[in-house]
Amino acid sequence: MKNKDPFGKELSIAQLMELDACTQCGECLKFCPVQEVTGRSEISPPEKIRMFRKLINATGGFKNLFGRNNVDKQLLDDFTRAVYECTVCGACGQNCPVGLFNQRLWPVLRKEMVKHGLGPIGAQGDMPRKIKETGNPYDDPAKERYSPWFPENLEIAEKADIAYYAGCTGAYYAQPMVKGDVLVLGSIGKPFTMLPPEEEVCCGFPLFITGQFDMLKDLTTRLVDGYRARGVKLLLCSCPCCVNIMARDWPALYGRELPFKIRHITQFVEDALKKGKLKFKKGLKERIIYHDPCYLSRGVGIIAEPRSVLKSIPDIELLEFDMHGLNSRCCGAGGAARKVYHENAVAMGRLTIDEAVEKKADKLVLSCPACYEKVNEAMKGYDKQIKIVDIMELVSELIN
Amino acid sequence: MGKIIVLIAYLVYGLFCFRFLLQVFLWYRAARQQALSNVGSGNISLGMFIAAALDVIFFRRLFSTNKLLWAASWTFHLSFLIVFLRHLRYVLNPVPDVIIFMQPAGVVAGYVLPCSLFLILIMRMVGNGDRYVSYYNFFLIGVLLMLSLTGLLMRIYFQADLIDVKDFITGILVFKPDVLPDSLMFVIHFLLALLLIAFIPFHLFAAPIVSMEARKREEGLGMVLHEK
Repeated sequence: MKNKDPFGKELSIAQLMELDACTQCGECLKFCPVQEVTGRSEISPPEKIRMFRKLINATGGFKNLFGRNNVDKQLLDDFTRAVYECTVCGACGQNCPVGLFNQRLWPVLRKEMVKHGLGPIGAQGDMPRKIKETGNPYDDPAKERYSPWFPENLEIAEKADIAYYAGCTGAYYAQPMVKGDVLVLGSIGKPFTMLPPEEEVCCGFPLFITGQFDMLKDLTTRLVDGYRARGVKLLLCSCPCCVNIMARDWPALYGRELPFKIRHITQFVEDALKKGKLKFKKGLKERIIYHDPCYLSRGVGIIAEPRSVLKSIPDIELLEFDMHGLNSRCCGAGGAARKVYHENAVAMGRLTIDEAVEKKADKLVLSCPACYEKVNEAMKGYDKQIKIVDIMELVSELIN
Repeated sequence: MGKIIVLIAYLVYGLFCFRFLLQVFLWYRAARQQALSNVGSGNISLGMFIAAALDVIFFRRLFSTNKLLWAASWTFHLSFLIVFLRHLRYVLNPVPDVIIFMQPAGVVAGYVLPCSLFLILIMRMVGNGDRYVSYYNFFLIGVLLMLSLTGLLMRIYFQADLIDVKDFITGILVFKPDVLPDSLMFVIHFLLALLLIAFIPFHLFAAPIVSMEARKREEGLGMVLHEK
């Protein structure tokens, strides 16, 4: 352990109280997707809290007062594994009888591990360097951020009231999704701007979720100043993780109120449909099932808008997962754990596929680039198959 | 024997104060740490405060996840509170009318308390037994169960001299310890109460505050991307 500082110093008073408020009742295990696929209670939410309390006590609590501040290595290893194997989906907190805000608590516990030199794990540790060099956490070339998918017939305005942020995962690994976004924006007809590919850097979410907070302020400032220089009044984005950090954390990271509003793309499209600025040219006589991304539903409360958009498609039949809306089940891609604990992620993705197939859906509609990438991956070599489509990809096919 | 028990009582009392002060220190230190995000957690209105208070009093969140456990937990907490209030007659002099008035309810609660604890214990073992075991949780339930059962035994079979008990308890509180009542069941009951105080779970203090924050957050969720 590099840093001998007491554990718990990164937590706010509300988060410290959350640790104390956990009654270890274990009710949350019924909702934890990692538990569902691993069955290992030692990496469950109450165990994480119990272990972290022990770390606080061992380094800054009762024992420390008597000079016994040596931390058990096994405890450190167990906690590190538990906190990083989590998908940070927040289902545990959503269903916590006390009401812990785990979707925000776990990243701060990860930050504690980073401060003590025990996190992040695996490829996550290389993300700050990659973002510094290429602007994205995948090390993909910045100049190829838009070119493979951006339609030739669409124009990006130099300056506009509306801006679109594609996001790294969408731009490199869920291109039908971001292509669908800009096609729909183009059809609505209002001019929109985008930052040049070298300037549209990571929103900071992958660093936030892995506990690496050092670069967040700088990334936020670069992006906000970039949009401000283009006269932007409304920033649109389809990635739930990006939208989450933009809406929840950018104001604090920027140090003052943002000069523009943040909206998820489904909010903008729902509004355009209601005002008649966007119309479907054809219907879809199919049964579709919509998966709520954790950081969109539980994260920022966008639940009704995607459904409203989908229901406005003529002839469509919208199905629901058993766990939907605020209680949706993680697809497996969350928490930046998908690259390290690949098998867990695939197993979770297959639970989503299983239910969609079981409910005889023709299409599984997603609204998150990480879900899009991971559920597609989970379907490779799987005996159950279903057509996966992003919500804006689907809309774009029916308006043109 | 009496002196040893008095000494244990003071040690437990000191330990409780020390634990509480340490916790307050940790909270104070954390209070200086600025939370990154405060979006969706604005000021609390009167309506929101009332709703949050009802959440805390009626365990609304537990009700929505596990109705049987809710029934058992809520009954346990309520009966524990009534039994605790009933016990104030051993401490207060003169005994307030309200405490005298609630004695019959306290007797009923004394029977309900172990039943609700048994139900919680069974649900813990059946519901989570193969998946999650919190030894601390089981320990607390065990202590509470023994505490309530010894209390019941004292009421039904092994009555202690109530005057002696009151003199002993009040003596400890004013640092003038009196003679230990001549009742083994009382000694066991009293030691179990001390054990409970020594290991008192701090969620008693933190959970109501966290539940209120949760209500505030839930009501603010719709505002994260829908206002301004």
